[in-house]
Order: sequence, then C-alpha cells, then structure tokens
Amino acid sequence: MTQPFLSIRKLRKAFGAITAVHDVTLDIPKGEFLTFLGPSGSGKSTTLYAIAGFQDPSSGDVLLQGKSLLAVPSHKRNIGMVFQRYTLFPHLTVADNIAFPLRVRRRPDAEVKRKVADMLAMVRLESFAARLPGALSGGQQQRVALARALAYDPPILLMDEPLSALDKKLREEIQAEIRRIHRETGVTILYVTHDQEEALHLSDRIALFRDGRIEQTGTGEDLYLRPATDFVAGFIGNSNFLAAEHLETIDGAATIRLGDGSVVSGVNVNGTFGKGQRARLMVRPEAFRMERNPTSAELTVEIVDVAFYGERRRIVARTAAGQELDIRPTTAAMETYNSSLPRRQVFFDPAAAFLFPA
Amino acid sequence: MPAGFGGLLPALILVTLFFVVPVLALLLRSVTGPEPGFQNYATLLGDGTYARVFFNTFLVASVVTIVTVLVAFPVAWMLAIMPSALASIVFGVIILSMWTNLLTRTYAWMVLLQRTGVINRTLMDIGLISTPLPLINNLTGVTIGMVYIMLPFMILPLVGTLRAIDPMTLRAAALCGASPFDAFCRILLPLSLPGIAAGGLMVFVMSLGYFVTPALLGGTSNMMLAEMIAQMIQSLLNWGLGSAAAFILLVVTMALYALQLRLVGAGRATGGV
Repeated sequence: MTQPFLSIRKLRKAFGAITAVHDVTLDIPKGEFLTFLGPSGSGKSTTLYAIAGFQDPSSGDVLLQGKSLLAVPSHKRNIGMVFQRYTLFPHLTVADNIAFPLRVRRRPDAEVKRKVADMLAMVRLESFAARLPGALSGGQQQRVALARALAYDPPILLMDEPLSALDKKLREEIQAEIRRIHRETGVTILYVTHDQEEALHLSDRIALFRDGRIEQTGTGEDLYLRPATDFVAGFIGNSNFLAAEHLETIDGAATIRLGDGSVVSGVNVNGTFGKGQRARLMVRPEAFRMERNPTSAELTVEIVDVAFYGERRRIVARTAAGQELDIRPTTAAMETYNSSLPRRQVFFDPAAAFLFPA
Repeated sequence: MPAGFGGLLPALILVTLFFVVPVLALLLRSVTGPEPGFQNYATLLGDGTYARVFFNTFLVASVVTIVTVLVAFPVAWMLAIMPSALASIVFGVIILSMWTNLLTRTYAWMVLLQRTGVINRTLMDIGLISTPLPLINNLTGVTIGMVYIMLPFMILPLVGTLRAIDPMTLRAAALCGASPFDAFCRILLPLSLPGIAAGGLMVFVMSLGYFVTPALLGGTSNMMLAEMIAQMIQSLLNWGLGSAAAFILLVVTMALYALQLRLVGAGRATGGV
C-alpha cells in the first residue's frame, strides 16, 4: 500500500478533564481538498491546530509523507495557513505581507519580487501592492492572507473558518477563488468550517466531527445520500425523522411500522435492530413525492402550509401521529397538485429512507 | 471659541497663575540676576563643570530609559497575554508600588544596595563575592533606583499597545516560517514601537528632572541637573544661574514632548496603534 501524503494517527487532545479530540485517525491524499465540518466545539479546529503545531496533542501522531511533524516547531513545518480573522501584519504593505514568508526564508530579492508579483496576480490584487492591510476590505484582506500562505509553495494549506467574518456575497466570491486556486496549484487543503453548504461546495471529501470524534468521512454526496448516523443526516441538509418500529431486516433492507400503523419495506438500515425496537426513519424533504409510483410508500398527512420558494415549494404537513414534516417538492411536480384538499397522501421511495436508532 | 471652553477656565487660571507666571518670572530672573544679559546661559553652556552635569543628566536619563524598556517589555508582554484575572492582580502590585511614598522606596533601595546592605551581604554569604560591590553612590545605584520607580510609566502604555496586537498575528508569523527571533524583530517589535516611544519619552523626560533618587542613591561625581539647580538656589543662593538651568531643562523637556507627540502621531498613521 502506498504511504498516505498526510496522516493523522489516533490524535487525542485533552484540556484538563475535557477531551476535545478523541483518537481521530484520517489519511489525506496529496492534492485533496478535505473539510473538517462540525458544530463549534466538535474538535475540528483543535485537530487543525495540532497539525499547525499550535497545540501539542496529548497522544497520537501527525505524519507528513511518513515523517512525524510533532517534534517540528510551527515555523519549520512549512505549512500555509489562513485564519478566521485576517491576521495580516498591520505595519506591512500587501506586497511586504506576501513577501514576509520568503524574506524570513532568506530567499534572494529577485525571487521574492517575482513570487510576490505572481501571488498578487493569483488573487487579483496587483493594484493593491503598496496598500496597508487596514485600507483593504475584509474580502481583500483574506485574499492577501491566502496569497501570503501560498507564497512559499507549502505542501499543505490549512484554512480555519476563513470566510466566517465575511458577508454572504463575498463568501461566495472567495469560495470560487479558493476552488480556482486549489485547481491551479494542486495544493492539499485542510479546511475547517461549521457551514455545511460551504463544505459541500468546496470539498473533495468531508470529515464530519462531533464531540471530538469523526462521525463520518466521505464525499458530500456520501454524507448527504448515505449518512452513517442520524447526526450526519441531521447536520447535512434537511431531514425529517419519523417515529418507527423495526420489524425485521433482510439483506440490509428493513421492514418497519410507522406511527399510523402503515408498514414500509425496503428502507436502508445502519446498525442492527431487534424486532419491535423503536427507531427513527429519516426522509429528506425533497425525497417526498406528490404522486404515487409502483415502489413508493405512502403517508397520510394534513397540509398546514404551502410556501413558494422559486424552484421548490415548501410544504409544512402534519402526520396522523401529530408530527410535523418538511416537504419540498419541485414546482414542476406541483403543477397537478390540488391545494384544496387539506388531507392527502404524500409518497416516498423506501430506498431513499434511512432507519436510525431512536 | 470651542464648545466647553468655559469648563477649562478654572484650570486655565490655575495653570496661568501657578505655572505660566512663575516660569516667566524664572525666565526673567535668568536674564536679570545678578545683572541683565545672557551671561548665566553662557556660563552654563560654556563651563566644563556644568557641561558635565548636563551630559551626566542625559546619560542617566538615557541609561534609565533603555534599562526600563528592557525590563518593562517582558513584563508588559506577560500582562498582555495572561488571563485578565491574574493580570489585574499584577497590575495591582505595580500600581501599589507607585502609590508608596517615593522617599520610602528610595530609602528601601539604600538599605538594599549599601556596602553592608542586604544584597551585598547575601552575595558574600553564599560566597559569590568576597568584597562588597559598589552598588550605591554611583551610576549603578541611580539606575537601579530610577528604573524601579519609572517601570510603571513604561509598563502601562506598553501593555495598552501590546494588548491591541492580535496574538494570532504571531502564530501566523510562525507558520509563515518566522523563528521566534524573526517574529519578534519583524512583527512584535515594530508593532509595539508606539508604546515603547510613548513610555520611553515619558520615562526619559521624567528622569531628566528627577531629584530625590539621584540625590540619595547617586554619588557626588555624577550629579544631575535637578540636584545642581537645588544646590545653586539653596546653598549658593545664585538665583540667576539656577533659573537659567531650570529654564534649559524646561525647554528640553518641552522639545522632547513635542517629539513624542509627533512620533506617537506617526505611529497611529502607519496603523501601529
């Protein structure tokens, strides 16, 4: 087996009695864009800081091309990093900020000059070279930070919630910039965010953190379409959880009974369930259909509200058991929908539903 | 007239009556006593003995300022990064020492520094030295005593400047490849320069005119300006010469204050503060 480019081995970090990271293990291939996604306090930033060398892990190891980084001080790790706040050097111009990592490496002046020009072109800030950071907008400052972090061609770029201080429009702009730069430079990026949309847009793979552990690692599609746990299902995208009772499981497909007594066969299962065990069935809002098809399961609901959201509608419905559902059919699918019926059936494909422990 | 000027009036009257008028009287005295002319200034600036006192005054003030900066910087840095509960305790200790009577503190240093003082005895008892170190009645004594007294005036402005520096900036510098030394020289020091300038000039200006500590801890061979003025007026009753010396001190002090304003102003303009 080939050696992974960056390898996090059983990383553990405790602050006194509180363990922030529990035995996180992860291999990252060269050139990958991997995102640590999770709520605040889930250990994603702590893991990143251990890679940066800001915090010594309590146990475990971080290996870059097979060599441990732990004994290497931050300034010798040759890692690039972009921070949540901009952390540019306020007394240095944009050009001097970008030149800083090259100057401390005692690179020749001609090379520094050329590289700074390249980097300014990469982040499209050529005309801002002589400005001080204070005279730049938040988005521009973050682009300078990106240029500074990449100026010395680090093999890994760490990004700690780099867009959280920016407004929505700027965030999208810089996201596009980050994608382009990742494509152009091929640098391996470890990106930390609590924003699932950002993670889905940007990443090749996502490691979803919860309480200091990785809940699931996979592509955005994996996490969205095949969530390993109810936490993943709840964190990525929107989901409905219906109370259910497990009847039997054959070949990874379960038969369950819903609250209204209807029996549904062929839902996906994670874990093992006993007969009669209480469980929760997860169905995505957009997995509901308004029309029956041969394989679909059905649910009788009362429509509470219908709102128009452009390409989709958002229906708030209530099941016979009194549980509220979020249903988002496409506007096209709603053309034949008769809104005058307050009680009606909605349908879902059992193959798009997942059974989780209650 | 700017709004709120009326509120300044009492202070203005006070300053005029008890500062501006006496200073003008001082100036007048320096060019009239004992007879009209600039001979007092000529004497002070031309005579080697007086020149030595001026030189010594600037030397002591410079040494005190440099040593104070060196001692205050690490303290200020610790204060800037330590948890605020702990920092307020340390601040309390610093302020408390400022509130203690100046003479008390200076006499305490005499007890510590003299030939048979605590420091010399301890060093001799543990066998580090065999004869007492000359720690008092010389430049060493003055420097130690004055640095101690000046420290709060350096620490307080410096902490303000250092607290405004985002500690993440230093982490960013480290990841950029800067060794702790590089990060200090290229990032921390330039960013703290406005605080060093403000505190440094404050300490320097205060040291120039300091009287009690140099008088008690210094020697006769390195007399400072304030001591000389006191001697001229109290012992020699030469009011003209004393006034001229005092006026020179005032002019230098004000020139330095103007410089401080410009430097700190420049620091702000470059984003230093």
